[in-house]
Amino acid sequence: MELWNHCENPYPFVPHEVLDQAESVRASLPNKYCDPKVAARLYDEIFDEYRLCDDIGIHIVTNEHHSGINNLWAASPVITGVVARITRNVRILTLGTLVTVRPDPVRVAEEYATIDVLSKGRLEIGFVKSGATEMVSGDANPMRIREREWEAIDLIEKALVTQDGPFSWEGKFFTHPHVNIWPRPYQEPRPDFWAATSDLPTCAELGRRGFVNTLLFGGYDRTRQAFDAYKAARAAAGLAPPGEDRLSYMAFAYVGDTDEEGIRIGQKIAWFLTVSIKSAPQFAKFQPGAVVPEMAPLAWRAGASRRPTNLDAEVLIGQGQMFAGNPDTVARQIKEFRRRVGGVGHIIMMTRQGLVTHAEAEKSFTLASRDLLPQLQDLPPIDSDETAWAARREAAAK
Amino acid sequence: MSSDRLRAGPLELEALRRGPLGSGGRTILLVHGVNPVSPKAGFLDLLAEHGEIVAPSHPGFGNSPRPDDFDTMYDLVHLYRELLDALPEKVVVIGLSFGGWIAAEVAAGGSAKLDRLVLVDPVGIKLGGREERDIVHFFNTSPAELNRRSWHDPANRPAGTYGLGWQTCIDEAMSDETMIALARNWDALCLYAWRPHMYNPQLKHWLRRISVPSLVLWGAADRIVTPEYGRAYSALIPGARFAMIDEAGHHPELEQPRAFVDHVARFLKEPSLRGA
Repeated sequence: MELWNHCENPYPFVPHEVLDQAESVRASLPNKYCDPKVAARLYDEIFDEYRLCDDIGIHIVTNEHHSGINNLWAASPVITGVVARITRNVRILTLGTLVTVRPDPVRVAEEYATIDVLSKGRLEIGFVKSGATEMVSGDANPMRIREREWEAIDLIEKALVTQDGPFSWEGKFFTHPHVNIWPRPYQEPRPDFWAATSDLPTCAELGRRGFVNTLLFGGYDRTRQAFDAYKAARAAAGLAPPGEDRLSYMAFAYVGDTDEEGIRIGQKIAWFLTVSIKSAPQFAKFQPGAVVPEMAPLAWRAGASRRPTNLDAEVLIGQGQMFAGNPDTVARQIKEFRRRVGGVGHIIMMTRQGLVTHAEAEKSFTLASRDLLPQLQDLPPIDSDETAWAARREAAAK
Repeated sequence: MSSDRLRAGPLELEALRRGPLGSGGRTILLVHGVNPVSPKAGFLDLLAEHGEIVAPSHPGFGNSPRPDDFDTMYDLVHLYRELLDALPEKVVVIGLSFGGWIAAEVAAGGSAKLDRLVLVDPVGIKLGGREERDIVHFFNTSPAELNRRSWHDPANRPAGTYGLGWQTCIDEAMSDETMIALARNWDALCLYAWRPHMYNPQLKHWLRRISVPSLVLWGAADRIVTPEYGRAYSALIPGARFAMIDEAGHHPELEQPRAFVDHVARFLKEPSLRGA
């Protein structure tokens, strides 16, 4: 199993009274509330954490969000390019630039190929559908974004693998008569593709295409359903069952010296869910395309906001959305998660999140590398694991 | 009152029909705005005294299907040209809000069937500078703000009709069927008009091609698109007359149905000075 570090680079420094009064803390909060000197310090600290991870075998994930306190990365290809140059060893996953907002996928392919060359073949390319406030910040039509995403992915893939261009593309959403990127990617034929989704038809398509499917905070049941859809689609298409390296899960994580420390600091991560995603209804449930019309009554009747206000770390742990405690505890939690979802090969740890400090994050990564990662290597095949568990349960019942 | 289907090429649209209740002897094609014309709208019976009303739901709105590839203003304009061709002679086209944009496009392109044009608080053109917003953003503005800006007094909204800011009307009493219809309408509107938001940058250059008698009506309290925008819009249409409806916002046909129909009726009685 591989461990990854994903930091959203949040900006938890806007006064509470401002956040409380704001209609949305994304898309429409004026940037006067973001001090660039503070942002510069955050970038320094997090790039230092990436350097540490590079030394201790924890891979790195970058992403982007726009115009909000939840994420200062803004342009994943820019940040990923920096990471490519300040690291030497680990894999780097961009998850990813928002291809449903970017007008020209060919530029995206070119940026990613450049990063793959810069990193000498350490890049992995992830795709996210995006939506909500990102459509507003990026002035992108929120309708049909899934179709737009797939066409962008197809064009990016063709741009990455074509070595005898130029070729022409006249699609539904994108046209480009002369596609011929330089440099071409370092990896042959192209970097591995990932996508973040729990949408079951999309998981099935990822399965057929062999992308790595990563879930975000899906918990046990949604993650299991998603992975099952992935596997079932492969089986139905006559394709080989996926290795666990095709299945990934992203959750909050804090590894401390003790369980008490893990949970205490893990609790600071929940800010991400309780504060940083506050959004106005027109950017959320009333945004066109946010729900299929038949689901609108359910979504619209659900009250003003379902934004959680009090998320207890232990509740998140119980739901499989946080791994926190001492290294042995976290190893147990992850193994249990792996068993319950039917196998997972990548755990993406969201650790430097919310109000967690630089020093706290570095401590967690160090412990994760030294005392957790070894416990996650050479795990028994998931089937026998499950059989043994069932046998134990049966024995306990007698 | 009747609601049936209207064929346009391969498409079969939901269409509301009303009248004629008088001796109008003409067809009035209503081109709807953010939501299809509600059969509960009070202006319908008043207007039906002046002709037979045909009010189709655009593809994707109400119960009209939308083919996968039908997703631009270009498609809507050609669809309405096709609909006009299929209607009897002497069609009065009344376009409301977003439908006013469609009607203006159709009229600028010319149609032998088009007799007169009425635009009611239409969107569709860009007049101000690049840092001035002519049209309040339908999708990025809070529903409460849209509701405030769309009505002279939101209390005037007739029950069962929905304008901009319709989200504020959602309550426990609203049926699932109504919510699903509103969601379909909102999705379709966005598909057609997200970017540029609610206008065609070229249309203002071609409004001069409109060659039928035209009336531009505006709610005096419209704060989605202001009466100043309306006057300038009207001035770009040769011979068009501009008139304001007091105590009405973006949806004067709903908020002041009597005044709205009186304006239309007077316009229809005026002799045509054009094409003589």
